Amino acid sequence: MRFGGLTCVDKVSTTVEDNELVGMIGPNGAGKTTVFNMITGVYDPSDGDILFNNESIVPYKPFEVSEKGISRTFQNIRLFKSLSVKDNVRVSFIKNIKSKYFSSVLQLPKFYKEEKEIDKKIDELLEMFDLLHEKDEYAVSLPYGDQRKLEIVRALATSPRLLLLDEPAAGMNPTEKVDLMNLIKKIKDLFHISILLIEHDMKVVMGVCERIFVLEYGKKIAEGKPEEIRNDEKVILAYLGDTHHA
Amino acid sequence: MQVKSKLLFLSSIAVIFVINLFSGSIDPYFYTVIIYIGINIILATSLNLINGYTGQFSLGHAGFMAIGGYLSIALSTYFAPFFQSTFGTGAFGNAITFIIVLLAGGTAAALVGLLVGVPSLRLKGDYLAITTLGFAEIIRVVIQNMDVIGASQGFRGVYIYANGVKSPQMVQDLVDMPTVFYAVPQFTNFFWTFLFVAIIIYYVSNLINSTYGRGFLSVKDDEIAAESMGINTTKFKVSAFVTGAFFAGIAGVLYGHFNLYLNPEDFNFLKSVEIVVMVILGGMGSMIGVIIAAVLLTILPEFLRSVSEYRMIIYALLLIIMMLTRPQGLFGFKVKLKKKK
Ligand SMILES: Nc1ncnc2c1ncn2[C@@H]1O[C@H](COP(=O)(O)OP(=O)(O)OP(=O)(O)O)[C@@H](O)[C@H]1O
Ligand SMILES: [Mg+2]
Repeated sequence: MRFGGLTCVDKVSTTVEDNELVGMIGPNGAGKTTVFNMITGVYDPSDGDILFNNESIVPYKPFEVSEKGISRTFQNIRLFKSLSVKDNVRVSFIKNIKSKYFSSVLQLPKFYKEEKEIDKKIDELLEMFDLLHEKDEYAVSLPYGDQRKLEIVRALATSPRLLLLDEPAAGMNPTEKVDLMNLIKKIKDLFHISILLIEHDMKVVMGVCERIFVLEYGKKIAEGKPEEIRNDEKVILAYLGDTHHA
Repeated sequence: MQVKSKLLFLSSIAVIFVINLFSGSIDPYFYTVIIYIGINIILATSLNLINGYTGQFSLGHAGFMAIGGYLSIALSTYFAPFFQSTFGTGAFGNAITFIIVLLAGGTAAALVGLLVGVPSLRLKGDYLAITTLGFAEIIRVVIQNMDVIGASQGFRGVYIYANGVKSPQMVQDLVDMPTVFYAVPQFTNFFWTFLFVAIIIYYVSNLINSTYGRGFLSVKDDEIAAESMGINTTKFKVSAFVTGAFFAGIAGVLYGHFNLYLNPEDFNFLKSVEIVVMVILGGMGSMIGVIIAAVLLTILPEFLRSVSEYRMIIYALLLIIMMLTRPQGLFGFKVKLKKKK
């Protein structure tokens, strides 16, 4: 991926298997978010290819990528500010509903039935993330950590096969982080989905991810099981360097 | 709760019907103001779907009103002999004729909305304001040059001569030919106007409050997030735009069949601005606020007749004061951020 003359993500290749939880780590500006933006169609890669279920998803627009079964959260929270917590989640159901424009206007019987089903699914998801008690509040009025969780719920509500989480635990304290990671692991198995997770905190990723790859200056410098990454010289160097500059 | 809204809708139509029976005893000046209030509510509510709920900026609503208005009065005059012989001239026949021209006017405006909307809404950024502004001006200039609908003189009916010649003005060469003048029929009354007020309120609130309709608001709030959640933002923008155009067309039909005369200047840039002001003043995306603003901005000029040439200056001042003091609109609300933790 190049912005102007700048190459930001260069020759990164990796795979995420079915029902696998993969971590992506790397110092600030390494290009992690850019990788997500390329996968979801926000940016078109300057060259290279991205395959999902053996199909290239490069030509697709973001909403089509979502239809294919990839969903994401945003590092800089992007909740819908004029919508309540439950309506933020509701939007994710639109792509799969049957009551579209005219049956919503005319309020046909199938419309009521479907609305009820969606309400129920929203409540279940919010309950899982302990957000149910806030369902009628405006999303942006929630505490920061809850907004991050709501981002996950909203992404999950699109029924993805692959979930991309961009620093879902940012700004949380260590115990909250561990709780969230365990929850993420749980939903991965419950919904049988694959997850690619960006996280700054090495310890947190090590705890939950089955495989990790490390990005630095847009290049993959290591990939492997948590214990392999922990002892990788390049990774140690990159991370020490990062803390020194930060 | 859902049954309630249907019930409320149907009973409000019944009430409108009953009030209409007594409308003959209303003072004509007062009656005119009431009809204009209804028409402006339709215009403002339909623009609110585009500018308020979906967060686009359309600046040419008068253009769609013009299309609906002119097309419908052309139909109901040029085809008057056909309508009269097919459906008769009784209350029932007139109602059928009116429904036909209403749908024709609304549909024509919606189709043009589709043609204007698709190319400009597919692009990122605020191309819509410029395209719609230009479009409305083009419509007005085209009408000004169309002799069949009276050009810049305006249109109030058509002379149909015995030899089949039809013209909005008397034809000099045919002074001896027998002719019938078909004036724009006065179809619009309290019932039809407020029937459509009730319809558009029911229509837009059903749409907006449904799961599907929350998509419009998601587009307004954050297009990237909406797209990533599977929302085809272009499709939502276009459908809001076309829906708005349809109802603006309907408003034009109602206006034409009440005024019985249309002039291209009725649909100039100032008319578009007036509708935008109603939406902004009412608080973008607040149904009730926009309705109240439409009522106020219809009545206000009536009180300010003596200074009517300053109307636009007053609007501009109103907007500036609003932006500074209440950016969410007079009646709109702002999300209060509760700081927890
Ligand atoms: N739209 C853009 N135009 C130009 N440069 C960009 C753009 N988006 C990202 N970049 C640059 O690409 C590089 C990688 O950014 P990216 O956001 O992917 O990093 P990251 O690994 O997610 O960092 P962080 O840990 O801070 O979130 C940065 O140098 C950034 O400034
Ligand atoms: Mg990032």
